[in-house]
Amino acid sequence: MGGIFGRKSPKTSRQLEITEQDRAVLQLKQQRDLLNQNRRRIENQIDRGREVAKQLLKNGQQDRALLLLRKKKMLEMQLHKTEGILENVERMTHELEFAQVQATVVSSLRQGTDALKKMNELLKIDDIERLMEDSREAIEYQKEVSNLLAGGLNRVDEENIEAELEELIHAEEAREINRLPDVPENRQREHARKPVVSATRAKQRVLTEAD
Amino acid sequence: MAATKISDISWFHDFPPFFTLQPNLDTRRKQLDAWCSLLLEYCRLKKVCTFDVNDASKFPPFFNGKINRQLDNNFIQILLEELRSRGNIEWEDKNKRRCLIFWNSLEEWAKTVYQWITSRGMNRTVCTFYELLHGDDTRSADFHDIDPKLFRRILNELEKHGQATVFSENGADGVKFL
Repeated sequence: MGGIFGRKSPKTSRQLEITEQDRAVLQLKQQRDLLNQNRRRIENQIDRGREVAKQLLKNGQQDRALLLLRKKKMLEMQLHKTEGILENVERMTHELEFAQVQATVVSSLRQGTDALKKMNELLKIDDIERLMEDSREAIEYQKEVSNLLAGGLNRVDEENIEAELEELIHAEEAREINRLPDVPENRQREHARKPVVSATRAKQRVLTEAD
Repeated sequence: MAATKISDISWFHDFPPFFTLQPNLDTRRKQLDAWCSLLLEYCRLKKVCTFDVNDASKFPPFFNGKINRQLDNNFIQILLEELRSRGNIEWEDKNKRRCLIFWNSLEEWAKTVYQWITSRGMNRTVCTFYELLHGDDTRSADFHDIDPKLFRRILNELEKHGQATVFSENGADGVKFL
């Protein structure tokens, strides 16, 4: 499919920006790659040297083996140095990358602060006080309006309402009295007879008192 | 992986008629399908990214000493043309001698690379081609040790989607991912 588009297409609009720092990081990483290659090469040489030295010892060529071991020692020192440099390069790369991250964080923080400032400009304290004052006034005005609307009725019907309330209270009291507990069933029979007596007695009492 | 035998990929490879272009069109179609999948699978396993027609006689899938069969040049040309029409190879020169092999499509490759980058939180960082292709970190990735030309094509594909930018500094090739 790609064969049709053999010629390189022009650069797209959404290209990532390559900064100075990116170029520096690339250089550092390239150095790191070179050092890594160097390290691999030395490690290989050391391994091979050891093998050859073994072989030489087997063949009784002690002098050459010794020479080789000396070379191996030298290579090991070089390896050590390479690793030291590699560490430095990697640390530098990390620091550079981290600084880039920090820079973006700072710039976003700055953007955030600017945006917040702009918002705050919209919300001036004086304006807000005035706004709150206005809204308080508006609320009061609204209250007054509703008082006027509802209050007119109140004055006219005030007494009626009071009377109705009174009536309700009385009704409630009356219901309270009616709500006394029921008399248990078995005693009710006794009562059925007694009231006759008590009623006559009451009558008598009324009569005696009248006397 | 080096121990993979072609006969493990497809038993057809031990089947003599497989090496002769079939006259019946239906059969030929099936034969070409089987050949294409065999070749692509072989290239995937061996990470073969380029092919040179001049080396065709040395390319293991094209011959089988066990059954004493090998593909003739005509068949190889037909096969390569079939692969090209499927978008699995791309000629690098006008004479059609050398080609790049895509056992994954470029889009698939681009997705693989970008997912790898994202999974490691390497977005917005700069990487060298060397570390991505030959570094210790990518050893398990599909794109480890693939041909730099193929790799560049994958990155160009990512560039098209605005997910990467390739640049170089003092001869060092690098890429920054979005």
